[in-house]
Amino acid sequence: MTTLKTPPVLSTPANHIFEGQPAVSASDSSSKLLDEQLYVTYEIERTIDEIRKERYSRVALQFPDTMLPDAPRVFEALSEGLDPTLSPDRRRARPTNSDQDLNGVEELSMTSKKLHAVRFYILADTSYGACCVDEIAAQHINADAVVHYGRACLSPTARIPVIHIFTVQQFQDQSSLIRDFEEFYVDPQAKVILMADVTYQDHLGKITAILQSHGYTNLYMTDIMHDPSSPLPNRTVPDEVKADPAKLKTWQLFHISDPPESLLLTLASRLASIRIYPASTTDGERYRKPFLASTSRALNRRYALLTSVSTASVFGILVNTLSVRDYLHIVEHVKYQIQAAGKKSYTFVVGKVNAAKVANFSEIGAWIVIGCWESSLIDSKDFWKPVLTPFELELALKADSERVWTGEWSSDFQSILQVSQSGDSAEWRNGHKTGGIVDGKEDRELDSEEESAPPDYDLRTGRYVSHARPMRKPYLSASGSKNLPSNFLARRTSGDLAVVGGEASPGAEYLKSKRVWKGLGSDFEIAYEDEGAIIEQGRSGIARGYTHDQEGPRI
Amino acid sequence: MVNFTVEEIRALMDKPANIRNMSVIAHVDHGKSTLTDSLVQRAGIISAAKAGEQRFTDTRKDEQDRCITIKSTAISLYSHMADEDDLKDIPQKVEGNDFLINLIDSPGHVDFSSEVTAALRVTDGALVVVDCVEGVCVQTETVLRQALGERIKPVCIVNKVDRALLELQVSKEDLYQSFSRTIESVNVVISTYFDKALGDVQVQPYQGTVAFGSGLHGWGFTVRQFAVKYAKKFGVDKSKMMERLWGDNYFNPKTKKWTKVGEHEGQPLERAFNQFILDPIFKIFAAIMNFKKDEIPTLLTKLEIKLSGEEKDLEGKQLLKVVMRKFLPAADALLEMMVIHLPSPVTAQKYRAATLYEGPPDDESCIGIRDCDPKAPLMLYVSKMVPTSDKGRFYAFGRVFSGTVRSGLKVRIQGPNYTPGKKEDLFIKAIQRTILMMGRNIEPIEDVPAGNILGLVGVDQFLLKSGTLTTSETAHNLKVMKFSVSPVVQRSVEVKNANDLPKLVEGLKRLSKSDPCVLAFINEAGEHIVAGAGELHLEICLKDLEEDHAGVPLRVSDPVVSYRESVGGVSSMTALSKSPNKHNRLYVTAQPLDEEVSRDIESGKISPRDDIKARARVLADEHGWDVTDARKIWCFGPETTGANLLVDQTKAVQYLNEIKDSVVSGFQWATKEGPVAEEPMRSVRFNIMDVTLHADAIHRGGGQLIPTTRRVLYAAALLADPGILEPVYLVEIQVPEQAMGGIYGVLTRRRGHVFSEEQRPGTPLFNVKAYLPVNESFGFTADLRSHTGGQAFPQSVFDHWQILPGGSPLDPSTKPGQVVQAMRKRKGIKEIVPGVENVSHSPILVNYLVAKADWQYYDKL
Repeated sequence: MTTLKTPPVLSTPANHIFEGQPAVSASDSSSKLLDEQLYVTYEIERTIDEIRKERYSRVALQFPDTMLPDAPRVFEALSEGLDPTLSPDRRRARPTNSDQDLNGVEELSMTSKKLHAVRFYILADTSYGACCVDEIAAQHINADAVVHYGRACLSPTARIPVIHIFTVQQFQDQSSLIRDFEEFYVDPQAKVILMADVTYQDHLGKITAILQSHGYTNLYMTDIMHDPSSPLPNRTVPDEVKADPAKLKTWQLFHISDPPESLLLTLASRLASIRIYPASTTDGERYRKPFLASTSRALNRRYALLTSVSTASVFGILVNTLSVRDYLHIVEHVKYQIQAAGKKSYTFVVGKVNAAKVANFSEIGAWIVIGCWESSLIDSKDFWKPVLTPFELELALKADSERVWTGEWSSDFQSILQVSQSGDSAEWRNGHKTGGIVDGKEDRELDSEEESAPPDYDLRTGRYVSHARPMRKPYLSASGSKNLPSNFLARRTSGDLAVVGGEASPGAEYLKSKRVWKGLGSDFEIAYEDEGAIIEQGRSGIARGYTHDQEGPRI
Repeated sequence: MVNFTVEEIRALMDKPANIRNMSVIAHVDHGKSTLTDSLVQRAGIISAAKAGEQRFTDTRKDEQDRCITIKSTAISLYSHMADEDDLKDIPQKVEGNDFLINLIDSPGHVDFSSEVTAALRVTDGALVVVDCVEGVCVQTETVLRQALGERIKPVCIVNKVDRALLELQVSKEDLYQSFSRTIESVNVVISTYFDKALGDVQVQPYQGTVAFGSGLHGWGFTVRQFAVKYAKKFGVDKSKMMERLWGDNYFNPKTKKWTKVGEHEGQPLERAFNQFILDPIFKIFAAIMNFKKDEIPTLLTKLEIKLSGEEKDLEGKQLLKVVMRKFLPAADALLEMMVIHLPSPVTAQKYRAATLYEGPPDDESCIGIRDCDPKAPLMLYVSKMVPTSDKGRFYAFGRVFSGTVRSGLKVRIQGPNYTPGKKEDLFIKAIQRTILMMGRNIEPIEDVPAGNILGLVGVDQFLLKSGTLTTSETAHNLKVMKFSVSPVVQRSVEVKNANDLPKLVEGLKRLSKSDPCVLAFINEAGEHIVAGAGELHLEICLKDLEEDHAGVPLRVSDPVVSYRESVGGVSSMTALSKSPNKHNRLYVTAQPLDEEVSRDIESGKISPRDDIKARARVLADEHGWDVTDARKIWCFGPETTGANLLVDQTKAVQYLNEIKDSVVSGFQWATKEGPVAEEPMRSVRFNIMDVTLHADAIHRGGGQLIPTTRRVLYAAALLADPGILEPVYLVEIQVPEQAMGGIYGVLTRRRGHVFSEEQRPGTPLFNVKAYLPVNESFGFTADLRSHTGGQAFPQSVFDHWQILPGGSPLDPSTKPGQVVQAMRKRKGIKEIVPGVENVSHSPILVNYLVAKADWQYYDKL
């Protein structure tokens, strides 16, 4: 096991090795942790306590790729710690933090003797992002609970209880942080929120205490909580902000370690300023100065991206999670929105999203990623068509005359759902819909049916783009009269013409006959297409004369 | 008092032989709008007193305030030719002696050249106005060249003769020499762009195609007018008289004979032109301006000029104006010149049909255009959009080339990207109303037959700027206009209040419709960009945007030049990219295109719509291309028309045709946003060397190949010594000698250089021509004025692209590198240009070795 430095390439794409996970800010996996460190970093004791307390019997251990090399040792440590057959003496030999802990373990170990052994499973390859809990994989082994290691997006899960182990990172240079902080915030009255990546959260208390002792009076230390739609995602907020989220604008943020892009974009418009203290000491020896985060360029690029979508007519909904709560609702919501805008959508599940997979569907004009709030922002030029978040889609689908871009950005779809449930967006939608119908009527009164609809102005290119969809009208009228197609599976008879809304459609016919997919193999049909050749008797003998032509005349 | 009715005009519309469609073109400030006034006045639309000052065709407030025409404006005039003799002189068929003149006044400033192009397309003749003091200027030449390119017949008027007489006080002979020099330089331009189909269209005073006059004072004459007068008086043939009244012809009063020699018995003779034409004019000027009150009445009776009671009390310039206007009304001279010498639509469309129509010369549409047939299928070209009083809506302004258009007619609206047989850029719509454009007013009209200029209501939503309207299903497009300017200066705009964004977006849409040249779009960095031909153009556009189209407060960035990316050499090795699924590989090299080829593509000489074989012939014969390569040009880009080429050089690749569309899309994408700074590419030729493809169609779909193509093109360009091209203006500066020194200083500081310096004969003015990078041109005019005491007047027009000197743009320590870095920073992309290895998705170093090894291997085979 020790020879394996990186995870084997199984279902992850090859380029994954080279690019790495952008969100991971973990230490170099090659440096081997000492046993003691392992206990601290992976919080073995806390894990054991939790498992004992809740009496889980099958537990899945989920590691991000960078931590996989440690997985066997964590596994060993955990199973040793929970092994009822092991004597308490042996266990006592383990390094522990305090006597109190020791007592607790002893007590619990007495009760656990009555329990059957806990079984651990290592989930090596996560289906979506390393930050999310892979509930589906855990369900495959029928796990009672999942232990998630590494940094997490803390998205609420639907099915299985989760123990989050953030794997505390070492933080060496505390004094330089204090120094830099004082350099930036000269005024001791400055309203500063201190925030850290989950892996550095443990240091935050100490730092705040030191800073307060240095005379800063208006500091606020954030705590972790499981709410991505909080004004500071997954963090507590000052009391005055709780009452009025707009107050957040008066605060400045000091963030320890590089935040993920989506967090940065989300916070950009909510706070007065953001300073980032790069904590990871591993990349290069040189010390990096804290810097002021500038997101307006990145946000503007997102704006350019979403305006390019407004003329797309076919959308692909990429489901990039199977665990975040309400993901099915948001899929429905997005589908509805797209339909209401008079466009088509298809839903895709492709596992981890990458350009190669998405590239297989060239008919799609734009992609919407439904995922946890960190992984739904995919900012890459490799994709042929733009990839958006549900929040951006909402903006993109608005008519040009309604779209407002304030720089406010959100990657969490819960907030969209909340807004739509509160009726605000429903109202907008109704208004929009009726408006559309009125427009249509007006047009129809003036023109006869054959006339084309006016083209759209493509803002990205500054040209007109026709959005003629010939089969569109009957389709719309069918859905308008609530005449929904039945959900029953019907066997498609070959030779039929492809029909859309009761009319033969050459476009659909093309897709039906020409769009075929052959994967690498089939789950249902193992037999080879060509049968092997029948074995025949070959020649035998020596070159001077083979046996089969011995009857012939000899020369 | 409008002395004609819409009904009269409508009746004339049915007689195409009696229609004259013409535009007034010239350099800025040579007096187009002022001259137009005298014609408008003749039609009774404005009063005689205001003519020359009102500039009726400058309909916008800022046009009036700045005294500069910004938009071209059309007006229909009714003219009656009283003299039957004149009718006989018209070298084409006419019906009756009433004429309809559709006149378009165009702007003279280079920044608005696109308006001139749009005006020229719908007219058949052009009145070229030349200032008799300044002579032929850069814009005179530009518009004349464009007119001849459209096969438009020019006539000329030498304007501002009053200036020569009053300010410069020239002698008769000097004035004649000045006239003949000016006419000669006009003819030099005309003969340079000689077109066989149009024939010889040089302008000659003795043919009556040149007039002389003063727009401001409202007078003007042609040699023909005087010839008619003297022919009657002397009883000689009119045409003979015309020839004698120009050139080296002298009348010897002693022998009463005409000679070609300017001397008789040692005495110099007076030139006939001076003696018979200039003399009376000079006399009037002398008498009135020197206040010889006693001489004036006799002079007036001699010239049969009657003054009203009030007018008799006038003196000085006012009196001069009245007298001259009565003696030689400008409108008479101009109308006569237009009616007699400019072609009617019937005549003009015979030779224009071939250059107007993209399709074959023998289909029904082309025959309809050729014959100007009102019963043929409709062919109508919309050349620009004119804002209506209804905000956000526009009149489509255009010309009926064949057929008849009427309200309620259902037409096919074909945008510039329409190709016959496809649905792209094709809309079907009924025309709501047809209207007549009368300067700032409009008049509704029932229907309009072939040969006329009109406005349409209800099609503006379907056409962005221009397009073809037809009723024939087989009709091709009327040729898309080629502008002599391109939008090389950009400014980004943002709203001050975020909630105003929808209004800005709506405003940008309207702005891009209202001007034939301006571009409005959102760039990769999410900025709203307005791109125009020059600083003035942008200034006007942004003012319109802020005050009119959007109506919200805006923040405008400093002007930014749009650069182009190009390559300096051939790719140092073949670039390879694999598709995301690793099943397909593309091998591509890049190399620069010859500048001549790029220019030909940009001017439309070599176009993607040409016949492949004909195009290959041109490329092979004129540019030394390999014929097989030239025939295998897959596409042009960006926007399918740009000056980058994709050439297929593969041999025997299976399924290659199936991926062509994908590769072309990738090429369009890559050439639109190049690898160095996401600027468009220019003048790059990409060769596809080899392709390996997966056997299953599904694994080589668009999604796989389009990004791959883009990557491989990037890699190929980065390997071929990439460079940045900057736009360069040709600046023409008119300056008096003593202020010349200042020009050089200003130009040198701005990386400009002078390449020509000429004195205008007879004046102290110098014409300096220089090249100036557009990037350095911001504030140039003001700078130049301050250094020359306000005496230098520059006109800048985009001329060419040049490589930004100073090293590789990939190295941030060089000047181009810094430009690139600033650009990338502005666009919010990583400031360092990604290396070749980043452009390719897979570890490229390995791939390059493979590629190289492959090629060496192929070579051995």
